[in-house]
Amino acid sequence: MLPIVSLTLFLPLAGAALILALPGPTARTVHSIGIGTASLTLVGALAMWLEGVSGAGFSQVEELEWIPAIGAAYRVGVDGISLPLVLLSAMLFLGAFIYASSLRERPRAYVALVLLLETAAIGTFAALDGILFYVFFEVSLVSMYFMIAGWGHEDRQRAALMFFIYTLLGSLPLLLAILGLYLGSPDPSFDMRAWIANPPLEGAAAMWALVAMLVTFAVKIPAVPLHTWLPAAHVQAPTVGSVILAGIMLKFGTYGLVRFALQMTPEAFHEAGVVVLVFGVIGALYGAFAALAQTDLKRLVAYTSINHMGYVIIGVAVAALALDPSVRATALDGAVLQMFSHGLVTGALFFLVGMIQERAHTREMGEFGGLLKTVPLLGWSFMLAAFASLGLPGLAHFPGEFQIFLGTLGSVPAAVVSILGLAIIAGTFLKAIRETFLGEPQSRWHSMPDLSLREVLALAPLLVLTVATGVAPSWVLDTIHRTASALVL
Amino acid sequence: MSDLVLPIVFPLLAAAAILLLRRGAAILALVGVALSLAASLKLLGAVASGDSATLLLPGLPDLPLRLTAEPLTALLSVVVAAVATCVLIYSVGYMKRESGLPRFFAVMSLFVAAMQALVLAGDWVLVLAAWELIGLCSYLLIGFWFQRPEAANAASRAFLYTRSADLGLYIAIFTLMGAAGTSEIAATLNVDGDTAVAAGLLLLLAIMGKSAQIPLQDWLMRAMAGPTPVSALLHSATLVAAGAILLIRVAPLLTPEVLLAIGLVGGITTVAAGLIALAERDLKRLLAASTASQYGLMLIAVGAGVPLAALLHLLAHAAIKSGLFLAAGEFQHARGGTALERLRGVGRVRPWTFFGFALAALALVGAPPLSGFFSKDAVIAAALSAPSVAWLAPLALAGTLLTGAYLARALRLLWHEREEGENENRSVAGARWMGLGVWALVIPAVFLGLTFGPIEALLGLPGPGDHGTTAMLFGLLAAAAGLALGWLVPASRLLGPFHPWAQSGLVIAGGLSFWIGRPAMAIAYGCQRLERGLYATVLSVGRGGFFIARGCGRVERGLYAVVLGTGRASLAVAHLVRVGDERRIDGLIFALVASVRGWGDRARVLQSGWIHHSLAISAVVTAVTLIILLSASLSF
Repeated sequence: MLPIVSLTLFLPLAGAALILALPGPTARTVHSIGIGTASLTLVGALAMWLEGVSGAGFSQVEELEWIPAIGAAYRVGVDGISLPLVLLSAMLFLGAFIYASSLRERPRAYVALVLLLETAAIGTFAALDGILFYVFFEVSLVSMYFMIAGWGHEDRQRAALMFFIYTLLGSLPLLLAILGLYLGSPDPSFDMRAWIANPPLEGAAAMWALVAMLVTFAVKIPAVPLHTWLPAAHVQAPTVGSVILAGIMLKFGTYGLVRFALQMTPEAFHEAGVVVLVFGVIGALYGAFAALAQTDLKRLVAYTSINHMGYVIIGVAVAALALDPSVRATALDGAVLQMFSHGLVTGALFFLVGMIQERAHTREMGEFGGLLKTVPLLGWSFMLAAFASLGLPGLAHFPGEFQIFLGTLGSVPAAVVSILGLAIIAGTFLKAIRETFLGEPQSRWHSMPDLSLREVLALAPLLVLTVATGVAPSWVLDTIHRTASALVL
Repeated sequence: MSDLVLPIVFPLLAAAAILLLRRGAAILALVGVALSLAASLKLLGAVASGDSATLLLPGLPDLPLRLTAEPLTALLSVVVAAVATCVLIYSVGYMKRESGLPRFFAVMSLFVAAMQALVLAGDWVLVLAAWELIGLCSYLLIGFWFQRPEAANAASRAFLYTRSADLGLYIAIFTLMGAAGTSEIAATLNVDGDTAVAAGLLLLLAIMGKSAQIPLQDWLMRAMAGPTPVSALLHSATLVAAGAILLIRVAPLLTPEVLLAIGLVGGITTVAAGLIALAERDLKRLLAASTASQYGLMLIAVGAGVPLAALLHLLAHAAIKSGLFLAAGEFQHARGGTALERLRGVGRVRPWTFFGFALAALALVGAPPLSGFFSKDAVIAAALSAPSVAWLAPLALAGTLLTGAYLARALRLLWHEREEGENENRSVAGARWMGLGVWALVIPAVFLGLTFGPIEALLGLPGPGDHGTTAMLFGLLAAAAGLALGWLVPASRLLGPFHPWAQSGLVIAGGLSFWIGRPAMAIAYGCQRLERGLYATVLSVGRGGFFIARGCGRVERGLYAVVLGTGRASLAVAHLVRVGDERRIDGLIFALVASVRGWGDRARVLQSGWIHHSLAISAVVTAVTLIILLSASLSF
């Protein structure tokens, strides 16, 4: 029996090694290897998807001894929470390689770096060992740092450094929490399954561990007020960097919130749930209002991410607070589906903004107007993604947000005030669409080319899945629900 | 009964086919809608013979989507499909010279599908989804000419107004589902107490947004920037109608408090929008204001506790208003605009269409025996039978009077030539298709009253009670007075000092953009300032970090120097020591050895056998030891 999870996980790393081993490859070869490897990885992820997950616990677990002396081992596997995120990563990375295949600036280092990032991303979601998780978590950080610093825009050095220091400092408390969990477990081991099955910490120790985890994940998600690195990083990051940062790396935070905070310190989370909920509500509203004030399209999309991640935080907090298992399952379903949808939709939006910037060398919406006439394919794709992002039914964000709000009203009715974000985000995107795509076409953009085949190939799968997830969410929700409904806290 | 999905699926397939093939858009859309109509009629037939059915579709976990065929939903489905068919027939002509037809007909088809899903929905999730999708379709259709800034603005405004009001629907749905434990509409209507009051008021908010009730009426007037068939569809059977339809469906849920609120909102709207219509200078905007006013009458009927009357008026209004709009569109093509001044005398140029327009107008005013006579009669009778009759009846009658006044004014303007020379007339392309569409709606507008009896029997809803004669007298009186006033007295004199205010749309101190839009933007800019502040703080913390690091660096260098110095010093010491090792210690040892030898010699002298010497030395040593011990113990 093939170890599918490990193969999927290390394929990109093997690709990176191959690229580095080849003597003086051409850009074309390098990009082909990148796309080929990412395609194989997607095949692996699809194989994992077909294999599926059982209800409680983890499936497709693969285990190897690593450092037996301290109980650390190579352990990987998936459940209904991580499997959709693995699939999402494989899809987004393939899109990213296709999109970047026109890059001629140090392509060898670039492709190798992104492949390394892909292994780190999939590894973060699939790791079942505390140390292994932390290693992947940090490796992704380093790769993203080099990506922003090496291929970003004008002020990239500072943004990259800010991103790195912010998230590195942010991730240290998680290490302490992991050590705490390790020391607290009866027979010392870094096995995350054991930590989930029998949460090792209690009382004040659990609360301290929770606080440490919350700090780390709040920086990563990011939750207001620890979010300032996000717009700065996005503005300077290259398009693919933004897509992966928003589409996948923000999910490390929300995924950790579920996997670590909710599952390993459930009682402490239940006690502190209201505080987390308040941060979620503030984040959702603040992100929405801040987005409304933006005139730079990329910053605007970055702030809507803060809003959407706010909803995820609300969903997880409600799941922690809810006493009724069905309400908890609903809220958690919604939170995980929202992560998945956000990856699709925001990934597409960042691609589109990157395409606009590549053509116009500006992202100020006031500079445009009437682009729907000039570049109809790009315009309609943007409208589709924008309406998905504002939560229109039939598109990806609606089912998740519906479940989150439904769960919220079922347990903490006051928090439903965050629903105002829906109207504000609607206003934000309507304004952006009106300024950029509607109105009289400006003569200076008349020669702007519409989407190329490369761009369509990168974008189309995301948009198709955006519609599919909105119309028939059960294709992914069934997997999520199997785990969310079996979760014992 | 899987037939239930057919009215939705046919237009949906048509939309998909249009987008894929990108040709034959009009025909595909027509076929889709016609099939949808056929499916709806079949459904109505099945329901009339006593069948009712529910179809479950996969949705969210534990929340399946549900379609329900019962008399009300099947009837509404037929209305939607019928109006849409007429409007699409008309559109073939109206849009003849436009480009972007695949987009137009695809969205129109999607619009019909979404509306069919809304009326046939048996659960709240589907209602919400359809409700928002018709908002999207309206956005795309109102903004069809997106290069025109006013169309782009109107579309954005329509979507934003309705979406904001929709939050009421979201929360109402969550409240109802929480209380009833299911998303099935029928089951949630049994909720009572505070939950019912809250849910009812929240639903009212969403309905006010869609049905353009005061103060959320502004978007509807601006939506006239879209193509005319879109207005016809929007006002009669889809977007605006959705509000009233939802209200009629949830009628069992409404408590007396909510009913009063609904009645008052409707009453105020019917009068205020009537005044706006009376002062309007543009035919399409006049019809839009009239729509808000007529939906106000429907809300009065629901508020009076007689949803049946609201439904009858909805049906009559659907045929009448779409007919009026389609006729207005033909006038628009004939004169290149819809300003009333420009349309003066157009009725003589296009007499058949004008005749249709006049018949529909009279039907809306409530002239017997046209359809509006019966439905308006039912509304007034409902108002008279309501507990809050003192509020509702005068408002309903005032609305009726105003309907007569603004329509008579419009008819007069359309018929009478301008004194100083004629407007230029243009030939109208596709006039046949358009005329067909107009008359296909005017005929039901005339005769629809005949179906009201069977509909009452089919639905089995309670009628408006026994105020028939009084209501009829009052209604006829109000309508006649309105017609006379509108025909004889110019609007500016009729409205007096209110005229400019009514012309500006009765906006109170800048309207909603002032009361909600501006504060929202103010908060947004506040967040933006906070954001800059936060960013600056983080940067300065970062700089502080660097500063400390630099300070540390200095200390580090100092320390390094010290360490280096220490190192050098110790090296020197070591050197010295080494030198010492070689010279002194050896010397010391040799010296020691020599002195020990010397001492040995002396000891040998001491131990020379002389006992007294030994004793003397012992005594001295003991004494010295004692002295040391004593002095030590004293000093502690």
